[in-house]
Amino acid sequence: MTKSLSQNNSKVILELKNITKKYTTGTNQFAALDNVNLKIYEGEFVSITGPSGSGKSTLMHIIGLLDNPTSGEVLLNGRDISKLKEHQLAQIRNVTLGFVFQQFNLLAKTSSLENVLLPLLYSDVPKRDRPKMGMDLLTKVGLQNKVNNTPAQLSGGQQQRVAIARALVNNPKIILADEPTGNLDSKSGEEVMKFFHQLNEEEGRTIVFVTHDMDLAKQADRTIIIKDGKISEAKHA
Amino acid sequence: MLKPSFSDLLKSSFRSILKNKSRTILTSLGIIIGVTSVILLTSIGNGLKKYVTDQFDALGANSIFISPGKIFNDNGGFSQSSMATAMTTSFTQKDYNLLKRKLKNSVVMPVNATYADVKSNQAIKKAIEIDGSTEEYGASNNVVPSEGNGRWFTNEENDKKTPVVVLGNKIADTLFPKSSAVGKKIIIKGKSLKVVGVVDKKGASMGGPSVDDAVYAPFSIVADLAGKEDINTFVVKAPNKDSIESTKKEITKVMLEKYDKDAFSVFDSSQLLNSINSIISVLTIGLTGIAAISLVVGGIGIMNIMLVSVTERTREIGLRKAIGAYPRAILIQFLIEAVILSCIGGATGVLLGYLGTLAIKSFFPAQVTLSSVILAFGVSSLVGIIFGVAPARKASKLSPIEALRYE
Repeated sequence: MTKSLSQNNSKVILELKNITKKYTTGTNQFAALDNVNLKIYEGEFVSITGPSGSGKSTLMHIIGLLDNPTSGEVLLNGRDISKLKEHQLAQIRNVTLGFVFQQFNLLAKTSSLENVLLPLLYSDVPKRDRPKMGMDLLTKVGLQNKVNNTPAQLSGGQQQRVAIARALVNNPKIILADEPTGNLDSKSGEEVMKFFHQLNEEEGRTIVFVTHDMDLAKQADRTIIIKDGKISEAKHA
Repeated sequence: MLKPSFSDLLKSSFRSILKNKSRTILTSLGIIIGVTSVILLTSIGNGLKKYVTDQFDALGANSIFISPGKIFNDNGGFSQSSMATAMTTSFTQKDYNLLKRKLKNSVVMPVNATYADVKSNQAIKKAIEIDGSTEEYGASNNVVPSEGNGRWFTNEENDKKTPVVVLGNKIADTLFPKSSAVGKKIIIKGKSLKVVGVVDKKGASMGGPSVDDAVYAPFSIVADLAGKEDINTFVVKAPNKDSIESTKKEITKVMLEKYDKDAFSVFDSSQLLNSINSIISVLTIGLTGIAAISLVVGGIGIMNIMLVSVTERTREIGLRKAIGAYPRAILIQFLIEAVILSCIGGATGVLLGYLGTLAIKSFFPAQVTLSSVILAFGVSSLVGIIFGVAPARKASKLSPIEALRYE
């Protein structure tokens, strides 16, 4: 990778301390995450990979504040957020995190612009400022001509770009992407990855993405490999 | 501050409702039927009340009635035993003379009646009620023919047993379809009577005999036709409204000299009106209550479809939560959708109820009141809230991870 990033000089934006997540199925209990410690630094481009069932989705959900750990602490900018109430977590997700999903998760029969503006419904951004923010982002992802199109009228790559614009609308510090290229052809997938690099290098956003594809994972500054609920390897690219 | 703003919530709720137009209509149908029937039934009840009130006003103000038997019970309702006693008892000429003598400031009118076939040279009407009274009855009951339609009979004719009758508008038309009845002869029980007047058309009547179907004759003539001098009822015209109560007391005092207190009733039209209106109210409330059950059924329909909608939109709910929707925002969104569904039903129901009332108005007294509209609409919105809570709570409690994973 062209970019070198010194972990020692950079600020830790997100830290997991002794995170354990246990699931109970019937009488069996198993740990999807087993005492995981992890630091993510501001401006880092991190990939999480591992075989299916390894716990990478669970890790992603905990990083994304979508799920509470059974034990351990989640520190966001040094603040422990693992004990916060659901509505407080929702607000943090709204302004600090941007989500990109494998399935895009755009609202059907709803225009690109309105899909992009969706997170703003739950924010304090004044209504009159919203449309311009959406238009700017759609222009940024190259969809200025598809503002009024609904997801059904867009290709997979275009839909994922609308989803990226949506993830950016609240200007979040961290972008979390769960298999963002998993439903795309290789060309669209490359475009999406290029876009993530751009967001990381030009805007300094922290990018964390989950993939099962080792080649894709290698594009990151650092790859976290997870296996059986434990981080087995954390290496620099 | 509410996030999203109320207008944003309304907008997105309307959008998702309009995505499924036919489903929206079918879902609202229960509420539509409920509200329509509530409005129709209350309209009919109110119309009936107004009709009865108007009829009593037409009977003339300041009128007091004396009837045989106990008509009212102690609570102001109709007495159970009234019919039996009313059939068997009647008043006499002596009572009439006594009342006339004692009530110097009021006009006392005896009323009797008999049933007989009425024939003209062109037609016959069977089993018609023939009411007998005095000259004063015409003005007191607002049945004096207007100019050009003849006249009411006089007390002189009553005293001399002159065979004259006054006909109701409809019966006059039936008996003499081709020309005016005034001056013609009719035959009752073999007796020839001269028609001296035709009462102006009074309009439709509910059930019982109307003025339009009535035949009026002097008291002495009806007594002859009936073969007895009995008096069915006295109508006493008090000098003014304020003296109704004192006159009633006076009458009661006079009547008690001769009769047991349960053998007669003294009442004025407002008393009778109140009793009838309370019966109509009870009927209206009862029927409306039955109609309101369909509102509950409609509410269950809304709950059902909202639960389906929550399941269908599990991914959407998960996404909204992931990008920052707090549970209450989701709750309010789904609640608003349920309320909009029921309000659409309520508004359509109000409209249909109003149109229905207009339609039946031509042959039945009916009247839409603002209070029934507000009540029906309010109840249907309330139904939306009550039955919307369960699905909305379900939506707000969905875990974002589970919801996003949902296929």
